[in-house]
Amino acid sequence: MSSISIIWIVIFALACLLFFGTAAVITVKGTRDLKDLLRKTETRNQQDA
Amino acid sequence: MNFHLLDWIILFLYLGISVFIGLWARRYVENMEGYFVAGRRVKVALGSATLIATEIGVVTFMYFGELGYVTGFSCFVLGIIGAIGYFVIGKTGFVVSGLRRLNIITIPEFYELRYGRRVRLLGGILLFLGGVLNMGVFLRMDGIFLTETLGFGPEVLAIVMTVMLIVVISYTVFGGMFSVVITDFIQFVVLSFGMLIATVFILVHVDFAAIASAVTHEFGEAGVNPVANPRFGWTFLLWMMIGSIAISVLNQPAVSKSFASESPEVGRKIFLFTGITLAGRYMIPMMWGIAALAMFGPALNPTTAMPKLLGTVVPSGFLGLMIAGMLAASMSTYSAYLLAWSSVATRDIIAPLSGRTLSDKTTIRLSRIISTSIGIFILVFGLFYELPATAFQFIAITGAMYAAGAFGCVAFGLYWKKANKVGAYSSLSLGAFAPVAFLVLDQVRSSLPAGMLWLVDVNISGFLSFVLAALGMVVGSLLTQKSSPPIPLRVASREGGTP
Repeated sequence: MSSISIIWIVIFALACLLFFGTAAVITVKGTRDLKDLLRKTETRNQQDA
Repeated sequence: MNFHLLDWIILFLYLGISVFIGLWARRYVENMEGYFVAGRRVKVALGSATLIATEIGVVTFMYFGELGYVTGFSCFVLGIIGAIGYFVIGKTGFVVSGLRRLNIITIPEFYELRYGRRVRLLGGILLFLGGVLNMGVFLRMDGIFLTETLGFGPEVLAIVMTVMLIVVISYTVFGGMFSVVITDFIQFVVLSFGMLIATVFILVHVDFAAIASAVTHEFGEAGVNPVANPRFGWTFLLWMMIGSIAISVLNQPAVSKSFASESPEVGRKIFLFTGITLAGRYMIPMMWGIAALAMFGPALNPTTAMPKLLGTVVPSGFLGLMIAGMLAASMSTYSAYLLAWSSVATRDIIAPLSGRTLSDKTTIRLSRIISTSIGIFILVFGLFYELPATAFQFIAITGAMYAAGAFGCVAFGLYWKKANKVGAYSSLSLGAFAPVAFLVLDQVRSSLPAGMLWLVDVNISGFLSFVLAALGMVVGSLLTQKSSPPIPLRVASREGGTP
């Protein structure tokens, strides 16, 4: 395997790590954000009504 | 193929849940701002998930897989360029924070604030045409992906495409941005899991040594060096460096996620988080394409090689989950695009042409009709149009058709006081010129004289569109400062309201 191929594979591995790591964080925090969005919107709609 | 009963059950269950949730979300739509930008209450993590889900679709897997299959590791450079672009936007808030501060819903609304109503109309038409053309190829690529991974023949392509479209339209037109945000989030989780499954199974079957060997054997230097690759070269890389920033900040479906955020700061951070994942989003499907090359050799159709690999190496049960993930990716992309382009057509074309202010109810109703019409168009277009370049290049050139002029107008409009109406007209027209010339002349490529063949080089055309748009803005504005004085932006007057 050539050195340039190894570099590209290492870059690929880093990119995967960043993608799946960030995806895990976003999944956990996003669930909280989603609940918050729906709760606030429902409250706002009830106030408007 | 490994697609069995269990996979079908998983797939239908997933589709059913998506439609149910999408339709259920319409209870949250209280007015036009709720429909188009989810009431501007979206926070960082949720906004990032929905933006990432919008930017990943089966079509992106398909064209990145195709690129990997035909260019080897060289195409990874696109992931690096794109990630840098998003990182710059995410750190500086370049364009996105400025636009979010104005409380607008569509990009052409900025044109009206800075250049006048007619520029908004022209910008809206170009944005809509370029955007819908850009989307035209999505459904076809999705259909090919599904027929290959599920093991159907090409004759069922139209049926698969139609079913997919009906599912997405059914919830997007009713729930607007609320449906889009909620389903995007679920789809983001499912598609991330699907990507993980697919990558693991592919690397179990095809190791890195075999992948590297296939690249060296098939492409030599061109497989590892993007400058030496005949499909890329410096023109392409320069085009991508400018285009990745311009298309990122001015792609209406993407930037509408920033408009839906609860503040300009949150809008900026959404781009930062999205940027961190960008290299992976590009390189993972590219690597699948390269793995397909290693497994099957170079004789396959480049478009179908990657899905064929997935259908072969991912076992039953997991395949259903993975396809659900891929469909999730597509559905989130379609829903965001349908909503974005229908909002542009309604607010920036129909409303200015009608000469009156449309009520919230009329705007939403019109937007629903247009979403459905766009769906029908992309179905017909996807079935009959033959791509003039790789799918990635087609999408990039149709993107440049609106993004080049829009970048000239918005970036200069926000950061250069002398930008005026004439500059905006010049930028929009010249930015669209090179891509339109490419798309038209490519149809008569064989009868073109040798001296005009550069006009049908997709890379030159894409690069040129950004150069011409910037030149148009600068020269047009400088020459007409007295006859057409610039209109200053009044941010304060926009706070708290929508146009």
